[in-house]
Amino acid sequence: MTSFFQTLGMTHEWAWFTATIAGILLIALPLMLAVAMIIYVDRKIWAAMALRRGPNVVGPFGLLQSFADGLKVFLQETIIPSAANKVLFLIAPIITFTVALMAWAVIPFNSGAVLADINVGLLYVLAVSSLGVYGVVIAGWASNSKYPFFSAMRAAAQMISYEVSIGFILICVVLWAGSFNLNAIVMAQKDHVWLINGFVANPLLFPLWVMFLISGMAETARAPFDLTEAESELVAGYQTEYSSMAFALYWLGEYANVLLMCALNATLFFGGWLPPLDIPVLYLVPGWLWLFAKIFFFFFIFSWVKATVPRYRYDQLMRLGWKIFLPVSLLFVVLVSGWLMATHHFCDADQTLYPDPDHYGRIVNNGVCP
Amino acid sequence: MIQVLAFYLFATLVIASAVFVIMSRNPVHSVLWLIVAFFNAAGLMVLVGAEFIAMLLVIVYVGAVAVLFLFVVMMLDIDFAELRAGFIRNFPLGIAIALVLVAELVLGIGAERAGALKLGTPDGTAAPLMDRSNIEAIGALLYSRYLFLFESAGIILLVAMIGAIVLTHRERSDTRRQNISKQVKRRPDEATINVKPEVGKGVQL
Amino acid sequence: MDFAASLSLVAPEILLSTAGLVLLLVAAWAGDGASRAISIASVAVLAACAFMVAPALCSGAMGPDTVAFSGQFRADAFASFAKLLIYAAGGAALIVAPAFFERVHAMRAEYPVLILFAVLGMGLMVSASDLLTLYIGLELNSLAAYVLAAFLRDDERSAEAGLKYFVLGALASGILLFGMSLTYGFTGTTSFEGIRAALSGTISMGALFGAIFMLAGLSFKIAAVPFHMWTPDVYEGAPTPVTTFFATAPKVAAVALSMRVTLDAFGGQVAAWQQIVIFAALASVIVGALGAIGQTNIKRLLAYSSINNVGFILIGLAAATPQGASAMLVYLAIYIAMSVGGFVAVLMLKDADGAPVEGIAEIAGLSRHRKVLAACLAMVMFSLAGIPPLFGFWGKFVVFQAAVQAGLVPLAAIGIAASVIGAFYYLKVVKVMYFDEPANVAVGKSDWAHQALLAIAALFISPLGYLLTRWLGALADKAAAALFLAA
Repeated sequence: MTSFFQTLGMTHEWAWFTATIAGILLIALPLMLAVAMIIYVDRKIWAAMALRRGPNVVGPFGLLQSFADGLKVFLQETIIPSAANKVLFLIAPIITFTVALMAWAVIPFNSGAVLADINVGLLYVLAVSSLGVYGVVIAGWASNSKYPFFSAMRAAAQMISYEVSIGFILICVVLWAGSFNLNAIVMAQKDHVWLINGFVANPLLFPLWVMFLISGMAETARAPFDLTEAESELVAGYQTEYSSMAFALYWLGEYANVLLMCALNATLFFGGWLPPLDIPVLYLVPGWLWLFAKIFFFFFIFSWVKATVPRYRYDQLMRLGWKIFLPVSLLFVVLVSGWLMATHHFCDADQTLYPDPDHYGRIVNNGVCP
Repeated sequence: MIQVLAFYLFATLVIASAVFVIMSRNPVHSVLWLIVAFFNAAGLMVLVGAEFIAMLLVIVYVGAVAVLFLFVVMMLDIDFAELRAGFIRNFPLGIAIALVLVAELVLGIGAERAGALKLGTPDGTAAPLMDRSNIEAIGALLYSRYLFLFESAGIILLVAMIGAIVLTHRERSDTRRQNISKQVKRRPDEATINVKPEVGKGVQL
Repeated sequence: MDFAASLSLVAPEILLSTAGLVLLLVAAWAGDGASRAISIASVAVLAACAFMVAPALCSGAMGPDTVAFSGQFRADAFASFAKLLIYAAGGAALIVAPAFFERVHAMRAEYPVLILFAVLGMGLMVSASDLLTLYIGLELNSLAAYVLAAFLRDDERSAEAGLKYFVLGALASGILLFGMSLTYGFTGTTSFEGIRAALSGTISMGALFGAIFMLAGLSFKIAAVPFHMWTPDVYEGAPTPVTTFFATAPKVAAVALSMRVTLDAFGGQVAAWQQIVIFAALASVIVGALGAIGQTNIKRLLAYSSINNVGFILIGLAAATPQGASAMLVYLAIYIAMSVGGFVAVLMLKDADGAPVEGIAEIAGLSRHRKVLAACLAMVMFSLAGIPPLFGFWGKFVVFQAAVQAGLVPLAAIGIAASVIGAFYYLKVVKVMYFDEPANVAVGKSDWAHQALLAIAALFISPLGYLLTRWLGALADKAAAALFLAA
């Protein structure tokens, strides 16, 4: 896209700048539209599982329901509690929303179709997702109200707890792919096991995917781990004091985060924009369509779980994170790296991974590779 | 051009937010400014090409350390008048430390003017893996040349963890802990009984 | 040098860390009931490590064959000498602990594990030939030490000791790190060899600052004046077995580390740091002697005594010669025996219920009902004072001899004068034990492990110790030669 803007007579720097802005808009605007539709889908799935009809009044099949809701909150008055810390109270939803969009910068939609093709892509995702907790914590504190504050405490502990095991799971994926770059991780999954594109078909990585899916639900505070907004205990959690657009921003940010988690599941374990099977005819379908299909599939799982699984108790949530996922994912780091060493996974690809300990500019074969 | 603009933007924000960290009256605001400072420092790291360090800075400091920091500070009940009184009392000490730091700055500038040093070894022969990405270069060093120290650093963290547990963990006898496997193993016929009590007799369990 | 050779040089460290990890798992599964067994296993591990490092000392290992991991670690005779002392002190701290902690139901299985990791850290310190190794070893030792100081967490004084040690220790680490960063900045390398090479000729202002900050940080760790303030409080507050440990092993490690830094890394710039060391030595000797006079608690008294002794050890460092280094090592070995003897004797002072007795007034007339204990304690005190027939005199003698040979006659003279002042408070304790009206407080019995340990220490510092001088001196000379060859 940079070269396109250069043909319009811009210097390289400004062309790059304009292209980046355009790229951001190209991702963010469709994402907002997707969020609006996915909220509708969520409600429809949930209703179907409860044998109800769900939204069906606004537009054909109720398709425009989300837009009607959006218009409604937009016209409402923004209420700020008099004892709240005003600036932080208003900044908090903006943080949540912005952070939810930021991580999409490194998600590859097709071969090369990625806004920022950086070689620490996965670390960037981890970094940005660890920021998400601030929107919630600041909201809870700035509201100056008990239930939001409890919710903020819960959110902080919950997200930190699950980031630990998510980190270990991602390390296993990175070990196998040999790169932090998301595009490289997708390409490493091509024809992984019996024509299947995706790490999920690997017996060593499949349990990690299961843990990642569950941890993802906890990380995005989706049911059954939605303790931060448990209505039976905390009214509406950190959102209790919010109304109007600020409230809507939380809503949008939350669903953008859920979509991101689905996209990560698809990218890290199900081959991203690659077709499910490594068969030439499937490559005729554009990559972004495959990615969207996978995202939608995972969103269906998220909705399904939300509609059917009862909420965890807080101690159970902590137990699952610290006493089960953490040791098991740690064990898998050992298993995966042990397997990769035993099978000389990196030997033919790149011997430079074993540099000379004394002269670290020089490369030697230190006996690990045959 | 854009790099220069970005550098001045990040650098200004780092300094400004660092100033706000110590100027804020509310400690929660101080922590939040500290987070802004970390974030912009990460931006500077990206600009000098150390993207791995930048991401670690955000993940470790912003994502974990500062959250716990905020967590604690939010729950404190702080008397601001008392804090300010302490500020006046410790002012001379602060000035003394500031003077030492200024002296260090002057020294540093002097050293920089004396000419650049060759890092690594005194003769500067051992160049790091120049054509590699950040992560590969760091990994190649950590797991070969600095392997021993890397593992030792791991033991330091282990000792810190043992210490925290030794100093705080208490077996409490008055709590009823959930034993999940016991719960799962329980069968309906162990948990419930069918009785047919006579009228007015009640049930013996 | 390849990995295999490097790994064989750090074999004692590998054994220590593996044993620490395994015993930690045992502790986690078996619980506090197994702490005695874990302590015994830990002592066995330390003995095994001692056998592993001893050959390097006996053969006087030095030179490039002792360098592991491209110059970050040095397993030479000097390191072996210090490690043997550290392992012995660590073993003593393990042997005396169970009886002390079990009385208050505070014996926990983590105690021996923490001691093992602290010993591992100190092993890294004395083998350091790179700033990074230095710092990692120091932190490993310090973190374990902070926890050990606060080990009796329900006891206010112990918790206070832990917190004080932690806050001041963190500050000292910061100062040390600052000095290290300046040194790195002005020399461009972290290896001692490289620093030495880079600092030939006149030293720049920045590197001098670096050296001063590093010495300040290290002075804290060896409790030399003016960075000694924490010592009495921490020694008094920490549980006595832990104090036994603090007064011995970390002292050896930090002194050995200071020798490596000054004589190896800054060995070409003796003039830059010599005045600082002379000042610290004299101030420690004098402050230690004067501070001890008013003390009523015997642990505090021994704390000031340790400050005083560090001063004498630093006199050897001020000489900056192989004789000085050798004298320091001899002094350290004798000092370890005296400290262990002193603190074990304190541990054996118990009232009828078995509760520890620490007040000097409470041991009045101890010679009437605990004759042997009183005699041993008196011997430790005489030895600490440097009264000639006892072995403590020999340590002071070699240090002063080295100082005089290096031309530091005034320093030696002031040191001798100060040791006369110091003798006053040591003799006061003896007077209280032998000539005061009996207080009949410290009447409790102690177990055979303490008695055996005290007997060994007493035998070592008795005039019989002079039979060892030739042997000890030869080993210390080998160790010092290795240090100066590295430098």
